[in-house]
Amino acid sequence: MYKTLATLTAGAALMAGAAFAGPNIVSGPGVNPECFAPWTDETNFMQWEAREGPFRVAVVNGFVGNTWRIQMIKTAKAFAEDPSIAGKISDFKVVSTGTDAPAQLGAIEDFINQGYDAIITIAVSPDGFDRVIRLADRNDVVLVPFDNVLDTDKVMQVNEDQLAMGRMFSEFVLGELDAKGVSSGKILEVRGLPGNSVDRDRSIGINEVFAADDGDWEMVSVNGMWDDGTTQKVVADAIAVHGEFAAVVAQGGSNGMVQAIQDSGHPWVPVSGESENGYRKALSEHSDAGLKGISIGQSPGLVAIAMKAAVSALEGNVMPQLISVPLPVATYDELEDGKNFWSDLPDNFFTVNEFPPCDVNISGPAIMAEDESDS
Amino acid sequence: MIGKLKATVLRNRGFTGALVLFAVLFITYQSIHPRGFSTAVLVQNSNEVVALAFVAIAQTIPVLIGGLDLSVGAVMTLTNTIASHVVTGTPMQMLLGAVLTLGAGTMFGLMNGLIVVYGRIQPIIATLATGAIAIGLALILRPSPGGDIDGDLNWAATNAVFDFAETYGFADNGNAAWIQPFVNIPVPLIILLVVALGVWLPFKRTVTCRTIYAIGSAEGAAHLSGLPIARAKIAAFTLAGFFAACGGLYLAIQTSSGNADLTQAGTYTLNSIASVVLGGTSLMGGTGGPIGSMIGAFILRIISFFFRILSIDPLLQPLIEGLVLLVAVSLGALRTFRVKNKLGLFR
Repeated sequence: MYKTLATLTAGAALMAGAAFAGPNIVSGPGVNPECFAPWTDETNFMQWEAREGPFRVAVVNGFVGNTWRIQMIKTAKAFAEDPSIAGKISDFKVVSTGTDAPAQLGAIEDFINQGYDAIITIAVSPDGFDRVIRLADRNDVVLVPFDNVLDTDKVMQVNEDQLAMGRMFSEFVLGELDAKGVSSGKILEVRGLPGNSVDRDRSIGINEVFAADDGDWEMVSVNGMWDDGTTQKVVADAIAVHGEFAAVVAQGGSNGMVQAIQDSGHPWVPVSGESENGYRKALSEHSDAGLKGISIGQSPGLVAIAMKAAVSALEGNVMPQLISVPLPVATYDELEDGKNFWSDLPDNFFTVNEFPPCDVNISGPAIMAEDESDS
Repeated sequence: MIGKLKATVLRNRGFTGALVLFAVLFITYQSIHPRGFSTAVLVQNSNEVVALAFVAIAQTIPVLIGGLDLSVGAVMTLTNTIASHVVTGTPMQMLLGAVLTLGAGTMFGLMNGLIVVYGRIQPIIATLATGAIAIGLALILRPSPGGDIDGDLNWAATNAVFDFAETYGFADNGNAAWIQPFVNIPVPLIILLVVALGVWLPFKRTVTCRTIYAIGSAEGAAHLSGLPIARAKIAAFTLAGFFAACGGLYLAIQTSSGNADLTQAGTYTLNSIASVVLGGTSLMGGTGGPIGSMIGAFILRIISFFFRILSIDPLLQPLIEGLVLLVAVSLGALRTFRVKNKLGLFR
């Protein structure tokens, strides 16, 4: 029923004005569902008119300056040259506008004016893109926000399910606590950037699992801003104030979290964290001593999936409006040096980069070796 | 006639330099853009520059008295969040909302002025504090980005005159003969020029404005000459608040939403200072003017436009942008080589 209604609306929109081109809402299933999985059963499917390649693709990044973003840009460049897609892209550009909404909107509009076929972006704000969405539709440009996505269903977007990630963090930690026979105590939750939708969703997931558990848990929340330095400080402060925690559930800044536990002499406890190389090194080193952890990452490789989705849409394939990329999960017992972490590479580096179902096979070391000088 | 022009140019060396630099950058950019000199590109350029240009104009006036207003970006953010709540409903309600938004910014500027003059606190410290207050208020008003500003207003205000007329269905949907000479002019550019020139040019003729320049040149002398120092300082900060609010209001219409973005507020304050310097206004005060800063904001934006047409490594772009900016600002300092009286270096 829902889909019929959507198709009808799309038809009406088409009749209302030929000036508004853009995607048609169609019924699923979409192409390559292992890679482009729809977010829920209710997710709409979109289809653009097929056109001849090769395509001109641009990435409009916002903030630049942390490892994640730099790794994302390197991944984008490497993937554009990957044999699986290189022949389909004739022109590839990456710009970073800083945290400045008019500049990001301007860059997107400029690429539309220049006649680019697809524009991939990490939105600086979940709102405020109405104008460029309208322009992209008029000019038949495929706009693909990923990572920080928009609060709209008018564009195709790519992300990981942050709520599920939060739940998995808690479920794993509860499982480990259960195995240790612990059923009560204080749990330290390390949050990210306040006001950010990713932080909000992960925290909701983390807390609802603990609330539903029959154990007697007291949650203590601190803000680590997803930054190693800040996280190390706030975790050290929390340990100083509260004494001992049964577990630490962090959603980022994992290197700092481990460092703070180690420095304070706090016993190793079950933990959760992102996919930083240093965190995985620590898990593999100290798991016998009790640092049993789960590592799930928001992968910088999402950019490659967004690029692949854009090209697929340009080829006229049916695509889900909101694409859910599978969570790259690794627990302490699954870690293997040289495979999903690298003991010879820097700590501050995100290990999860590959997505085999999507043919995105750019591994961590390949990215680190990418020469920055050629473009 | 030519003599008079020459005298004007020489008197406004900084401004002329900025204008020439802008013209060179702009014409080069448009020439290598695949759709250069088209309305679409001009509309895009104008949209991107308006908020920054307003904030740069706002910054200029306190700089003219030898102060810095660190709250301009924050006031822009605050008014942006206010506008996202009040600029909704019928056209009349939206107009009222816009007036309310501008009024709030102006009152905030007035408060800055009163604190600086009667609290006798250095402008840079006073506005650092009030800027934090503005951000705090903005966060209360919009804990997470949102708001629902009219889509038609957004579309009309961010396009060319033709689309404006088409959206609101006047002048025969933009096809009337009398409107033809104007149809390709971007609406944001008109808003910027009308507000900036409409407020600044009349104000420039007042004693208060002359006093602002006099304070920047030599506050002691201005005081001994019996000029209204307190009034001029308060006016400078009040106008800064007003122009910052113009930036915030436009930003809200442009994004049809409000966002209490802390980082963005800081970026705009810093960029406003850069625009002021690029536009030929001395940070010591006394010379320059807001129209120059507007050009300065244009220059600042155009530098980054080039990255979208040229193939430059994304991770090298900030470095190159910084280098170009440094060269541009240094051009303004060239005159120091020609100063005959070394005391002149202190100006």
